[in-house]
Amino acid sequence: MNKTIVLSVALAAWAAAQTPQGQQPSSFAGVVRLNKAPISNEVLKVKLPRPVEQKLSNGMRLLVVESHKVPTISLQIAIPSGTLQDPEDMRGIAEATAALIRLGTKTRNAKDLAEAMADVGASIGFGAGQDSGSIFVSALTENFDAALALLADMLLNPTFPQDELDKWKTRQKSNLQQAKTNPGSLAYERIFKVLYPSDARQYTLPTVASLDKITREKVIEHYKAYYVPSGELAGIAGDITPRDAAAKLEKALAAWKGGPVKHPTLPMAGPLPEKKVMLIARPNSVQTFLLVANRAIDRMSPDYIECQVMNRVLGSGPSSRLFRNIREEKGYTYGIGSGFSASKVLNFFMANTSVRTEVTEPALAELLKEFQTIRDVPVPAMELADAKSAIVAGFVLGLENPSGVLSRWLEQREYGLPEDYWDQYAAKIQAVTAADVQRVAKKYVPLDNAQIIAVGDASKIAELLKKFGPVEQTNPDN
Amino acid sequence: MSLKPLLAILLAAAPLVFGQAQPKIAPVKFTDTTLDNGLRVIISEDHDTPIYAIAVSYKVGSRDERLGRTGFAHLFEHMMFKGSENVGPGEHFYLVFTKGGSMNGTTNNDRTLYFEIMPKNQLDLGLFLEADRMRSLNVTKENLDNQRQAVKEERRLGVDNQPYGQAYEKIDELVYDNFAYKHSVIGSMSDLDAAAVDDVKQFFKTYYAPNNAVLALVGDLDPKDTLARVKKFFGAIARQEPPKPVDLTEPEKTAERRLTLDDKLARLTRISIEYRTPETGNADQRALSVLASTLGGGESGRLYQKLVKEKEVVTSISCYAQGRAGPSTFSIDAMVRPGKTAEEVDGLISEEIAKVLAEPVTAKELERARVGMRRSAVSPRGSVLQIAISLADDAALYNDPNRFNTEYEKRLAVTPADMQKAAKTYLRTANRVVVISKPAAQPAAPTSMPKQN
Repeated sequence: MNKTIVLSVALAAWAAAQTPQGQQPSSFAGVVRLNKAPISNEVLKVKLPRPVEQKLSNGMRLLVVESHKVPTISLQIAIPSGTLQDPEDMRGIAEATAALIRLGTKTRNAKDLAEAMADVGASIGFGAGQDSGSIFVSALTENFDAALALLADMLLNPTFPQDELDKWKTRQKSNLQQAKTNPGSLAYERIFKVLYPSDARQYTLPTVASLDKITREKVIEHYKAYYVPSGELAGIAGDITPRDAAAKLEKALAAWKGGPVKHPTLPMAGPLPEKKVMLIARPNSVQTFLLVANRAIDRMSPDYIECQVMNRVLGSGPSSRLFRNIREEKGYTYGIGSGFSASKVLNFFMANTSVRTEVTEPALAELLKEFQTIRDVPVPAMELADAKSAIVAGFVLGLENPSGVLSRWLEQREYGLPEDYWDQYAAKIQAVTAADVQRVAKKYVPLDNAQIIAVGDASKIAELLKKFGPVEQTNPDN
Repeated sequence: MSLKPLLAILLAAAPLVFGQAQPKIAPVKFTDTTLDNGLRVIISEDHDTPIYAIAVSYKVGSRDERLGRTGFAHLFEHMMFKGSENVGPGEHFYLVFTKGGSMNGTTNNDRTLYFEIMPKNQLDLGLFLEADRMRSLNVTKENLDNQRQAVKEERRLGVDNQPYGQAYEKIDELVYDNFAYKHSVIGSMSDLDAAAVDDVKQFFKTYYAPNNAVLALVGDLDPKDTLARVKKFFGAIARQEPPKPVDLTEPEKTAERRLTLDDKLARLTRISIEYRTPETGNADQRALSVLASTLGGGESGRLYQKLVKEKEVVTSISCYAQGRAGPSTFSIDAMVRPGKTAEEVDGLISEEIAKVLAEPVTAKELERARVGMRRSAVSPRGSVLQIAISLADDAALYNDPNRFNTEYEKRLAVTPADMQKAAKTYLRTANRVVVISKPAAQPAAPTSMPKQN
């Protein structure tokens, strides 16, 4: 990887905001700053190494990030197979296809395939996302050809054996039971129903009934329609040249054709206007899992950069307000955070934490207080400078792992961001002002319209939750 | 101060005993220096990316705790972020993150580890933060009470509010008789409540001394200059009387131990089986860890093929050798499919164990295990933080930072006969613990919980 590194003095706005050495100690929630530690006010100026892009004959766009420090190669390929294509009463088809495609080919059964992967030490996986799916391969350099040949066998010659489908369904039904015991899983299942009530985004899990309806024929139909390469993005990172990468993929996947397929597009509505408080009763809980969310921005939003800075102040990482206040000062929780889920089909903001049952009320009140503060009060200059510094100075950490570099470029291509997006990223972050932060906070951090979910011991928290709004109570099974 | 950096020139020279040769893995080179105050300093250059990682491994873990103070080593770890003479409470993580870095601390049975990864121009910051807390931790009742709350939440999150959470604690209580490993790292609520400021002060003096720690620095560094800086920041920290080594020996066990738990948060039955094994570094323990990849080893493993796919009695199963500095374990965990019983599952697992006692693993299985070893050996080399952590921990726990380079060759040399011999010695019924968690959570009927407003 060729990285040009220039030590440069930080942008003036940022440097000016730094506390000079020896200044009076200052403190705010959860932190006392003595300002005695030696810090460098320089930001390493680094450039994200650019990938080489090539178009393959089957219509895939391949990005390659070459790095020879470790003898491994990883490949990812996007495919237009997602859960949003599942018919309403047959949810689980995209996942079934992803699971079954690696459990039987014309010449190998599931055991043969598992052993063949182990023989070459390769990981080969297929996943179903929402609007798209993905294929992953990773292997040692010397085994990459063999891994690609195996991938090609799965992709081109799958048989989707009936008995493997039946066994998969049995395992999935157990997993559904398991999910009902997990507070986070229960809360996420609910929040998607609340945020996207009108379309398939509301479903995060299949049901026993929908699994029962899935047939082998439907799986094969899904495979034929959505396991196609044309128009899709692929990426290779690691110990390989761009020329070899393209040649190997051309050779292994020459017969894989089809597409392009249009990915589903769904309406992106603004925040829900009415506040809602939902309690999911989980008997014997000693903690309450709290989740507060609402619809916000998708990945293409012009407010995306401002939202990243705002969230760094509010809830991303231990230097953020939620962690400093609710964990470090109040001791209500072990961990807390907030963030944006922003893609082509998702557009929500969410904070979540687990707190002991006894402090459910003050913890939720404190969380909402932080929401109120970031909306109402401009972020102090130094806190804003520190949040921006965390993102900008921390950018260099992402250069170490070639797969991480590749992910950033795949993100740029997928969302149609400008070619120089990552070159301009630091400057864009630095340009965000306190007024910008307040503007996006008011717009996207929910307060009067917060969608609040609590998973815990209903006998102890149902009453107190009413202080936050009318409570709708359910249990994991309905 | 006499400093003689020993440039360890590391040759991966162990000849392969048999099987096809795996390509060599270039050794990680490092310097290994001990300061006058006993602090061991390991430095490795890696100029790929302009970042560096710092890891400090203290030779203290939950095994060093006394009766009535379980969970203390970990609670203490939290106190290390609550300030020292020149660093305010919480300032450590605030500075690391806002200067573009990342950090954490972690405690296990044997050691406590702190680490940061930062842009290379913040080298002094990382050294200062680690040195200041090693030299002058600031202990107050207020900070202790505060972190006691966070740690109790960590226990609730990981144990008390989780299905199968309590099973993990019960397993160790049955595997071990010696108090050192018998209790959990997270500790009991009552012991966490009992921890006092004086305990923290005494613990700090005894265990957080330079001569009880290893500092590893890996990344875009100049070793000479870095060592000079280390001396500047850490050189004046006073050495302490070394702590007494903890006795980890276990009395011989003569009968299987079993326990069935009612788990109010679970809906599926889970079975955990643990066999006692020797300490990490012991040839039998190494052989068993290779065997675990044949039995476990994901979808191609014998247990997955037999129990998940062929018999369909479990929905997931795992098998791994869990190495500690002292007596360790070989573990199998499985989630029982509804309608099947833990007894059926136990019977089928026992059949698979009997097979590895009767027959050596096949040449094919051995080759699979080896390619897996190679992947595991090369993958951490892409991360300066992973390298720093391994060098610090291996020096602290095994007095051998070079283990990072040599362990792979030793694992490659394990033969099917070695595995069979180790299995016969340790995978015996009388040497195992079985803990079964039965679901006591009742799915609520849809009508039993009326909606209310």
